[in-house]
Parts: sequence; structure tokens; C-alpha cells
Amino acid sequence: MTIASSSTPTTAPAHLLMDLHTQYIVSLDQQESSLAYHLTEHLRLNGVYWGLVALCIMGNKDALDKEAMVDYVVRCWDKETGGFGSHPGHDAHLLSTLSAVQILAIHSSLDRLPRARIIAYILGLRPKGKGYFTGDAWGEVDTRFTYCAVSALSLLGALGELDKVEEVEGDEGEAVTVREKVVRWYEACRNFDGGFGSQEGAESHAGQVFASVAALAILDRLDIVDADQLGWWLSERQLKNGGLNGRPEKLEDVCYSWWVLSAISILKKLHWINAEKLIGFILSAQDPDAGGIADRPGDVADVFHTLFGIAALSLLGYENLRPVDPVYCMPAEVIEGLGLKKDCQTLTRKVDGDGKGQAEQ
Amino acid sequence: MHGVRRTKPSPEAVQAARRAKEASKIAEYRALEGEVLERKKRADYTPESLSLTTQLLWLNPEYYSIWNYRRLILQLGIFPSLPSPEHQQPLLLEDLQLTIAALKAHPKVYWIWNHRKWTLETLAGTFGVGKEDGRRWEWGKEIRIVEGLLEKDSRNFHAWNYRRYLLSSLSSPSPNPPPFPLALTPAQLSAERAYTTCKIESSFSNFSAWHQRTKVLEREWARLGAEQRRAERDEEFEFVKQALYTDPSDQSGWLYHRWLVSLPDFGDRESLLRRELLVIAELAELEPDSKWPLDSLATYKHLLLSLLPPSSPERTQLLQECKEHLEKLAEIDPDRRGRYRELAGRLG
Repeated sequence: MTIASSSTPTTAPAHLLMDLHTQYIVSLDQQESSLAYHLTEHLRLNGVYWGLVALCIMGNKDALDKEAMVDYVVRCWDKETGGFGSHPGHDAHLLSTLSAVQILAIHSSLDRLPRARIIAYILGLRPKGKGYFTGDAWGEVDTRFTYCAVSALSLLGALGELDKVEEVEGDEGEAVTVREKVVRWYEACRNFDGGFGSQEGAESHAGQVFASVAALAILDRLDIVDADQLGWWLSERQLKNGGLNGRPEKLEDVCYSWWVLSAISILKKLHWINAEKLIGFILSAQDPDAGGIADRPGDVADVFHTLFGIAALSLLGYENLRPVDPVYCMPAEVIEGLGLKKDCQTLTRKVDGDGKGQAEQ
Repeated sequence: MHGVRRTKPSPEAVQAARRAKEASKIAEYRALEGEVLERKKRADYTPESLSLTTQLLWLNPEYYSIWNYRRLILQLGIFPSLPSPEHQQPLLLEDLQLTIAALKAHPKVYWIWNHRKWTLETLAGTFGVGKEDGRRWEWGKEIRIVEGLLEKDSRNFHAWNYRRYLLSSLSSPSPNPPPFPLALTPAQLSAERAYTTCKIESSFSNFSAWHQRTKVLEREWARLGAEQRRAERDEEFEFVKQALYTDPSDQSGWLYHRWLVSLPDFGDRESLLRRELLVIAELAELEPDSKWPLDSLATYKHLLLSLLPPSSPERTQLLQECKEHLEKLAEIDPDRRGRYRELAGRLG
């Protein structure tokens, strides 16, 4: 690959530029002179999780200091509510709470804070009688948030809380477990195309499909998903350029490489898309000068797309990457260590110079 | 970030000037933020704090904690000091203004939509008994506003979600109306069907509109007798046929057709399949390299096979045709040949 002069665009990279991306991620912390950095504090904790998992998959977990990171997570904890905000002083929310729990799990530091309080915060976000969790005390409903709750509870070893039977009032019908309520709610969010939207009645969208399928996988209730039909819808996200979109007639985007791919991996239909072409698309979205991966070739990179591009490459068997768990989007070894691994499909990892990856169970 | 192109780095002097400007913007932002956070910390719910949050949210509409603080200022600080709920209305109308301006610039930011929803619900609560007209008028305005946003981007799911919420809560303004479309009256359902017809006719590839249509029809059909359901479903087949013939490469119509075929029996499933197979076979002949007609032929013939008795003379022929279709699909749509091969394998 030739190094071009600063006045001509660099040619698309044919390999994953791991060292460059590692540098890119590490340098994200030093962006104080960028206004955009300050304006994205509402995503900071999520950003740390995205960066950390990308590093783990590249085998460079120690590129960021563990103690400093865990201290930062602890400072994001809101002791009033028991949940985590996106940055110290920001209000607690399920999105940041999941990121916090994920980071602590990766760093084997789940007991730095009182688990019971975090669990209570999460459980408190389910309105009585309902099968969903809201994002925070203000009540936004979205299938993503139920996934955050189910995932976080399972990482905290508290999934059993969902097996409690809820008291029924008046004519509400039979008493069922919370788990059953959650499954029925996902059923209600399922659409004519087999996919899932953000809530009942909402259009299928790959991000929500991932959240729903992954939550159902954790709950061992994939029986409500028509794998053939949804696998078909997901496989049709692949466009001619190899990239994946999030719903019909939309543009390809590297983040959908993850949302679509992880769902397809859980449903064991990875062979229903063209892995080589997708790998090519992800690699072409790298920024070969500054590092990181963007939503599509030629765009500005960010840590969100960097993680999802690298995680997708790992699922596709790309060489020299560590395995990632498609249900949790975390290093596979961490999930195995916690006894949470589910039976999904990944492609055999290529060895340098090897032939094509084969689907394995 | 999505959709921001990389640019070539500019000369040093330009970069230095840019950095200086950015540094002053950062200082300004941090100063304002510091002030707001300090007030938030001491639970300062005064009008001064409210206007500071307005400024901060203009600079950063994704700062969810500040939207939260703003609601607390109104709820706990300003509203309790007002003589009646009606006095809240001017302030809430201001927040409607604030959010619509923010949404025009950032139509996909969840936090802005959430705040607008809260504002509208709170506003609904200020219309006392006998003032339902006022509430319905506000809702009507909201529906028109969301239609405007859908004109600009007919696939914006935030706008569609909000529309579904508005229609559901039109009759009863509780914060959690029954899920769409359970709360809609027959007249509303009919009007919404017409709205989806209009959206689809202006663009057959508007999957969001097709999706909305499936929800409306499911509900309408649940209330009809078997014969009427059958008649209406057949009208839908005619409707979608137009889309399929206009652009056979557009998946929306095909997914919709698949749904229509799979609906629980409104009658003789076998004749339905045979009829639709003829329609699609015609199209497949006109467009031999289009994968969707072929995929539907393979799928529907497979379905037909499952309905025929084991002794039927057609079985061998149908099976052979399915395999041929799947082979052709693997050729013309090689990215997905893994699926076609799996389906062919299942045929035995």
C-alpha cells in the first residue's frame, strides 16, 4: 500500500490497521481542545465502553489504564439513585448503567460498588405490571432499554430477579413471572417482517432487532423469533457494496455491520450474507491517516463505528482478533468466565494467508 | 457521528486560527455549563435557571441531564407558584416552540422528542373539564407538525412513533395510551389507512408507510366478517401489485405481499397461492433477472407443496421448479447464496 502525499486521498486499506486504531482510541481521552469532545459528555461512559471493547478485541486491553478507568466509572455512579450517568454529575440512565456494568465486568471490578443498589435501580425502572424497562425515571420506552436491563442484570448475576411472579390486581389475568411479561412484550413489538421496532407498533430497525434478539437469547426465549423470516430480512440488509443497512432503502453504515451481524449470528444464519464483501466494506471505512473507522468510506471516524467495525470483523473470523460475544458485545472470554455464553454462530477465524472462513456452530 | 466527510488538512495558519476560535467557544460553553450545573446541584428551580437551560440546550440539545433539569424547574419551581394549571400554558407553549426549532435542526435526537412529548402531556393536563376543544386543537396542530416533518423525511421513525402516540392519545391524553393502534376509532383507522395510501402512492419504497398500513389493517380486519376480510385483502393484493410492477426491485412491496399471503386463512389458501403464483410468474417473465419474483415463486410453491396431498401429481413438478428457482437465485444474487442453498437443501 503506497503512502500518498497530503494533497491526494490515501487509497483504501486492505488490512485492519490495528496499531493505528489502538493509538486512535488511546488518544480520544486527550481531545480537550476539541469542542465536539465537550459536547459529547452525554455519551462519555458509553464511549469508554466502546473504546475498551475495541481494544480487547485487538488484544490491547492494557493500552488504557485499568485503575483510572474503574475510578472514572465509580465517579459516574449516582449514589442517590443507584444508577450511573454518562459522566460525573450527569443523571442516571440505563444506557450508561449498562456501559458501566460492562466495563466493570471486563475489569473484574463488579464489586467496587454495592451490587444490590445497582440491581435495585434497574429493577425500579420497570413500571408495575409491565413487560418493559424505561430508560430512566422520565419514562421513555424502547426495546433497547429492556435489553440494557436484561443484559446488566445477567452480568450482575441477578437474572433470577425476573423469575419472580408479580402480584396481580383485579382482573389483570393470570400471575406470571416478570420474564414471561418481558417475552410477551417483545412479542407485541414483533412486526409483519419478523423484525422488532423500538416499541409496540414501531417499524423494524436493525438496532432494535439486535436488542430484541439478544435480550430474548439471554432469557432463553428465542422460540418467539421466526429465524427463517427474520434471517431473511437481516440478510437483505446487505447492499451491492457489501455494507449493511439498518432497514429497507437506507444507506449502508458500519454500525449495522454489528447490529445486523450479531442478530444473524444469534439466529445462526451468518452464511446467509457475503462475509468477504462485508469485510472489504468495513476495511474501506477505516481512516488510514488519523485512525479509527467511520460509518462509511471517506467519512470522519469515531469510536462508536470503530468498535462496531472491529467487533463485526471478529465475528466474521478476521485474523488476529479475539472472539467477541454477539449477545453482549463484550470479549467472549469475559462472558464465558461469567457462565453467560449462549449457543451462537461465528465464522472460523482465518489464520494469516488462509482461505475463506467457514460457518461453525 | 454519521455522514461527515473527511477533508484534507489545511495550512498551519488556518488551523491555528481555528483552534483559537474553538478554544474560546469551549471556554464559553464550559462557563455556561458550570453555572447551570451549580444551580442544578443546589436545586435552584427559578426562572433565571430556566433561561440558562434554554441557552445551554441551544448549544447542546443532546445534553439529556439538562432537559431533565428543565422539567424539574417547571414542575417543582415555577408551576407550583402559579394560580392555576391554565397559567402553565404559555410556558409550555414556549417549550413546544423550543423543541420544534431544535427538531428542525436535529430531527433524530431522542431527548428532544422526549421533552416535546412531556410538554404536550403536561399541556394536556392543563385543559380542565369543558376545555376538551382546546386540547384537541393542540393535538391537531401536533399532527400537522409531525406531518410536516414526515414530508421532509418520510422514513424518520421518531416522527412516525410520535404520530402513532398522538393518534393513540387523541381521545384520552394519558401519558401511556394503549399501544398503537388499539385506541383508534374506526374513523381514525380509516383516515390513517388513507394517509398510508397517499404516502405509498408518492413513493412505493416507503417501507415505513407499508409498515404502518399493516398495523392499521390488522386492526380493521379484526372487526370484520370473514367475507369482508377476504374482499379487502384481495383489494390489498391489487394495490401491492401496482408497486411490484412499477419497481420489481423494491423490497417493500414484496415483503408486504409475503405478509398478505401468510395471513391466517380468510378462505381457500390453495387458490390464493395459485392465483398469486400466476401474477408473479408473469412478472418473472418480464423481469427474468429480478430476484424478488423468483424468491416469491420459490417460497409460495414450497407453501403450496405443504398443502397438497402426498399423492398429488403436481408434487414432483413443483419440487423441481422450487429447486430451479433457488439455483437461479444463487446465480443472480450470489451474496445470499448461502440462504438459497440452505432452502434448497431442505427440499430434499
